[in-house]
Parts: sequence; C-alpha cells; structure tokens
Amino acid sequence: MTPEVTPDTTTGEEFELDRPWVTVVWDDPVNLMTYVTFVLQELFGYDEPTATTLMLQVHHEGRAIVSSGPRERMEHDTSRLHAYGLWASYQRDA
Amino acid sequence: MKPFRRRGDVVVGGLVDAEVRVLGLLVDQLEQLLSLDGDDAGGDPVLDRLLPPGHASDTEIARDYRDLTEASLREGKADDLAVVRASTPEGGGEVRLDEDQARAWLRTTNDLRLALGTRLGITADTEPPTDPEGEEAQQHAVYGWLTAVQGSLVDALVAGGRRR
Repeated sequence: MTPEVTPDTTTGEEFELDRPWVTVVWDDPVNLMTYVTFVLQELFGYDEPTATTLMLQVHHEGRAIVSSGPRERMEHDTSRLHAYGLWASYQRDA
Repeated sequence: MKPFRRRGDVVVGGLVDAEVRVLGLLVDQLEQLLSLDGDDAGGDPVLDRLLPPGHASDTEIARDYRDLTEASLREGKADDLAVVRASTPEGGGEVRLDEDQARAWLRTTNDLRLALGTRLGITADTEPPTDPEGEEAQQHAVYGWLTAVQGSLVDALVAGGRRR
C-alpha cells in the first residue's frame, strides 16, 4: 500500500516548483536609455517598440521583467546582461 | 571627438591624441581593477557594480551565480579591453570598427562610465560641480566625454538597422 500524501505538506512545495524564474533589469543612473534599448533588442531579439517599452518601465518603475523560464536560462540571461553592464538579477516570479 | 557614424558595414569616428591618452589610462585602470579578485578588492563598490550579485537578496543563489559566471564575465571584459586597445589609433585619428569591435567598445565605454559614475556617486539628479577647475570637475568632464562617445556609437549602430 502506498501511503497517501497529505496535501497540506506538499502543496506549498509543488507550487514553488511550478513558479517560473524571471530575469529583472533594475534602474541605474548611469546606463543610457538608448543603450539599454539597444541591449534588450540585441540579447533578446525584441523589436524596437517592445525594447523601448521595457526600457521605459525600468526607468519609471525602477525595474522590469525582461525574460522568464527555467532557472538555468535566467542565470544565463542575467550573465549576458551583466556582460553589457546592465544591472540585472534573477529570481522566482513573485 | 568626431562622433561615430555608420559607413556601410563599419562605424567610423575619430579621437584626438589627448583623448587617446585619457582612454588608454582609463583602460589600464579598469584592467588593473578587474585583475583583482573580490577579496583583494576589499568590497570595492566599482567591482561590485561591474560584477553584481545574480540575486538581489538570496546570498546562496548569489554565490552559486558568482561561481558559475564570474570567471567568464571577467574574461569577456578583459577581451573587450584588448579589442579597444588594438583598435585605438596611436597619436589620434580615425577609429574604424566592425560590428564585433563596436560591441566591445560599447561594453567597455559602458564599464568605464559605470566605474567613474560609481566613484563620483552619480545619481539621476547629479548636477555638474560648482568649481569648474577642481579634480571632481575634471572627472565629470571625462564622464561626459565617455557618455558622448558611447551615445554616438549606439546611435551609429542603431542607424544601420539590425544586421544580425
């Protein structure tokens, strides 16, 4: 007989595993707006209007999610942004 | 400085001798800083900004990230510095860059601005210093010059449309 798993102890964890990871770009007083837009197009293939919208979100709201997916890919995206000097980090989606 | 402009597959700008010397000094300083490991740098805020934590609050994830990426990030920055050095005309003159070289210049000028901006405590509201002759004013002038170089380079690359 397989013991029944009580939902109380697993639900939280399963929920954790289901939540995707995201890469966040944070506002920075140094990086040029045109440069941030260029980098987002370059690294993620966004078209110019999408990249501009994300850049403005960073500028006005202090942060924007620029990609989401498995943790390993978010690590990679973060390091590509760091190579270009953008202030970025990755985390579980809130 | 002659701003960068696109000419077909390349971007072309110009630097005078004094600018080449300043750039050379800045590149040397950045190379030296990047050659220090985190412990030797003693929590240098510039190094922290150039190699930021991968996670904003979780120190374990941030450590994993550093172990995974720091060596290759440092290597990439060192490679960029070498490209900038090799494509800077000694004594001043035309700077002609292909797409890859232009990206190395973009990343390096951005790192130099981050380094200088961190040292100067640049914020969104920073005003030019009141004493135009002081050391700080000179640093601000160099920062403004780097901004002009990088800004013209971005504009020149964007002007060509997406080429890859």
